[in-house]
Order: sequence, then structure tokens, then C-alpha cells
Amino acid sequence: MPDAMISIRNLSKWYGAFQVLTDCSTQIAKGEVVVVCGPSGSGKSTLIKCVNGLEAFQKGEVVVDGISVGGPKTDLPKLRSRVGMVFQHFELFPHMSVIRNLTLAQEKVLHRSPKDANEKGMKLLERVGLAAHSGKFPAQLSGGQQQRVAIARALSMDPIAMLFDEPTSALDPEMINEVLDVMVALAKDGMTMMVVTHEMGFARKVAHRVIFMDQGQIVEDCSKDEFFGKPRSERAQLFLSKILQH
Amino acid sequence: MSYHWNWGILLAQEPGGTGTYLHYLIVGLGWTLATALAAWVIALVLGSFIGTLRTTGNRWIVRLGNGYVELFRNIPLLVQMFLWYFVVPELLPVRLGDAIKQMPPPWGSYVPAVLCLALYTSVRVAEQVKAGIQSLPRGQTFAGTAMGLTQLQAYRYVILPQAFRIILPPLTSEFMNIIKNSSVALTIGLMELTGRARAMQEFSFQVFEAFAAATVIYILTTLVVVLGMRWLERAVRVPGLIAASGAAQAAH
Ligand SMILES: Nc1ncnc2c1ncn2[C@@H]1O[C@H](COP(=O)(O)OP(=O)(O)OP(=O)(O)O)[C@@H](O)[C@H]1O
Ligand SMILES: [Mg+2]
Repeated sequence: MPDAMISIRNLSKWYGAFQVLTDCSTQIAKGEVVVVCGPSGSGKSTLIKCVNGLEAFQKGEVVVDGISVGGPKTDLPKLRSRVGMVFQHFELFPHMSVIRNLTLAQEKVLHRSPKDANEKGMKLLERVGLAAHSGKFPAQLSGGQQQRVAIARALSMDPIAMLFDEPTSALDPEMINEVLDVMVALAKDGMTMMVVTHEMGFARKVAHRVIFMDQGQIVEDCSKDEFFGKPRSERAQLFLSKILQH
Repeated sequence: MSYHWNWGILLAQEPGGTGTYLHYLIVGLGWTLATALAAWVIALVLGSFIGTLRTTGNRWIVRLGNGYVELFRNIPLLVQMFLWYFVVPELLPVRLGDAIKQMPPPWGSYVPAVLCLALYTSVRVAEQVKAGIQSLPRGQTFAGTAMGLTQLQAYRYVILPQAFRIILPPLTSEFMNIIKNSSVALTIGLMELTGRARAMQEFSFQVFEAFAAATVIYILTTLVVVLGMRWLERAVRVPGLIAASGAAQAAH
């Protein structure tokens, strides 16, 4: 696939003697939204962290926008600055105001002027509906609001792709939708997205493809319609039936 | 016991002719603070550096840091004081060693005392800094580096500002310790507060007055430090976080 934004080839990773990822391969095209799901401990977080080099891997290759993540000469900080990441526990910087959370890396990594960074930050806060909270500190916001700030923070770097690691699973149910709405809008804007989530409503609405992982392997990698129609593997069927009940 | 109390001694002239005994003690406090503050600045910088290195995950750097900490933690302060004063000058190149030995008083005692207290305290600071960093959720480092911050920048802007807020109370006690520990410098001839209280007792034979006055001066100093640190804690408090360590909980 020539226009692959993210390409993972035969990726294997071990923690000591324990193999977390086994020969994983997949491609994500520009503008594509891919949902990754699977049981706890199946290696979803590890896989997604290999994409921006937060976790090192021992075998295989990950290429993002033509740049090899594990390459010896790769400028990892620069590569990471171009890939946005959103975490399960938000990971906002608690000692900084909301707007400072959005401007820090713009200034220190992209060397934007404080004025430009601020303008960009405020624009993004407006986009996620939180401009009025720019002067507050993360601990003064609800979980849903914090996660929307975290998405805005990632977008402040003008990323070429966004990675999400269970962005709604730490939220109270009534806050999940406000975050999913932001993500749906992002997907509709054409952002390339790799999303670890069990929110199958989100997958149905905007995903192009679904990847199902089990025990460190990619068991299913198919279009959304195929996946929800009838997943080929028994494990995936069982998994789906479990999470679709509620 | 027929002790002859004489609080008036504090206002009597000390034999050196520099003024009253009270003045003599207060100059001693000046040396105590000059020693403690200089040592504290070095201890804070060095301790932060070593404590941070010990969290980097680089095996050799971590080992080096651990070795440093074990070395200075396991030798009694008094022995370290003697080592710096008597032994270190002999180990240096002859010229440098002689230059140190010939430093006029009080510098000949002041410099070794500062270095000794600085290194002794730096390992205690390093322990606190390491613990502070390790108490933060790992996700904070991930979040920083995921945005393209280098490891150095992540420490500078994300990790250390949070870690220092958490360890402010133990650092306060370390600072008070360094003030108290500076009295050990009297053994190498530094005339700081305790040294001067002892001299006063020898000159005047008023042992209770001398050490009572020194005690009161130490207590007042500690009080000022506590108030100062309270103010600092308030100044760096993060809105919305109840305690500094709530940083971790708020994110989870
Ligand atoms: N730092 C680590 N050291 C050792 N083992 C680890 C480490 N991190 C993760 N693992 C193990 O690797 C496996 C995959 O973990 P990972 O976090 O990628 O799973 P996951 O699919 O994201 O699970 P969850 O749904 O619970 O988030 C798990 O068995 C986990 O225990
Ligand atoms: Mg996970």
C-alpha cells in the first residue's frame, strides 16, 4: 500500500522471556480510522505504543509516514511530535493550567512563539467546547472535560495521525459521549486514527476497519462490515457477544 | 548543686573584645547559616541531579548513582568531617593540598565543613528526589515524550516540577537537619553557634546560660525556616489538588 500512513510489519516484542506481541502486521492508510479491540492483556496498548516508539520492540518494523520508528538514525522526539496520543488516564500535566498544557510542547518542541501557541491552543479548546476553562487546572475539571483537553493538547501539534488508548474506559458513563463526539468529529474531518476501544458504537459509526487482538496476535483484521457481520475467529465472536450485551 | 546563675553574662564583654557574649553567639549563628546555606545549595543541585539519574533506567548510570548514595550514607557524619579536613588535602596533588591547609581561619574549616555537609546531605536529597519521581504515574513521562519532548525536557517541565512539590515537606526537614548538623563542624575548628557556646562556657564558666542561649537561637531559627517553607508550599500549591500527592490520584 503506497499511501500507508502507519505500517506495521511482522512486529514482535518481548518483556524478558514473555512474548507480548507475536508477528503483528497491519497497515493504516491516510485518513483511515481503525479500531483495535480484544481482551485485557492481549497487547493492544503495547502495539499502539510501538507506533510512536514509547515502547521499544525487538523484531519487525514500524513505519510512520515513511519513517522507520526503530531506525537507528530516527529522531524519535520529532517523529512523536507528529503523532498525537491520547491516554486512558488523560495524563494532563496537573501542575499546569489547561492552556499551558496545550502550549508547552508547541513552544518547546515546535518552537512556536507563545502568542501563536496560545492562539492555536484557544482555537482547539473552543473546538472541544472548553475555551471558558482555559485558566483552570486539570484537577478542577471533570474526567470528560480532562479527556477533551487531552485530545485538544494532542491536536495542538498538528499531528498527521492520532493514537487513542482506551480514551473512554476511565470515564463515568455519562461522560463517555462528550468524548466520543469529539472523536467522531475528528474522524469525519479525515484524521488518520488508530483507536483502542471497546466502544462498538463508535466503531460502527466511524471506523473503516476493526482489528481484533488476542494473546499478542492480530487475529482479525477486516472491514467494519465484515467484523460486525460475522467475525471469522471464534475468539472474536465470543468477545463480541460479551461486550455487546452491555 | 550550687550553681551561680548569671543571665547578665550575655551582655558582658567576651574576652576577644568583639562585643557582648550575645553578639558573639549571634555571629556564631551567622557562621552556622553561612555554612548550612552554602552546603544546602550544593546538596540540592547535586542531590536533584543524582536522584534524577537514578530514575533514568540506564543501568550503568543507575548503578553509579546507587554507589554514590551508599558511600555517603554509610559513613557517619563526624567521620566524614574528619576525612574532609584531615585526609582529603593529603590525597590531592601536593600544591593544591598545601594551599587548602594554609587557608586562613575560618576558611580552612569553613570550606571542608561546607563540602562535607553538602555531600552528606546530597545523598539524602537524592533519595527524596528519586522517591518523588517514582511516585508519579508512569503515564506522565509517556505523555510528555509522546508530545515530542526529549527526556531532558520531560524531566524539566513535567516530572521534576511535580516531584519537587511532593517532596517539599521532607526537603524542609533535610534543610533543618543541615542547620543542626553544621554544629559538627566545631570538631574541625569552625566557630559556628555551638562552637561559640562552648567557648563562652570555657571563658565564663556559665555553662547553662551559654547553651540555653544557643538552644533558643536554634529554635528561633528553625521556626523561621518552618514559616518560610509553609509560605513556599502555599505559593506553589496547584489549584484543585488537595495535597501535592493528589496529583497522582486526580489522574486516575
Ligand atoms: N512493562 C511491562 N513489563 C512486563 N509485562 C508487561 C509490561 N507491560 C505490559 N505487560 C504485559 O504485557 C501484556 C500486554 O499488555 P497490554 O497493556 O499491551 O495489554 P492490553 O491489551 O492493553 O490490556 P488492557 O485491556 O488491560 O489495557 C500483559 O500481559 C501485560 O501484563
Ligand atoms: Mg491497555
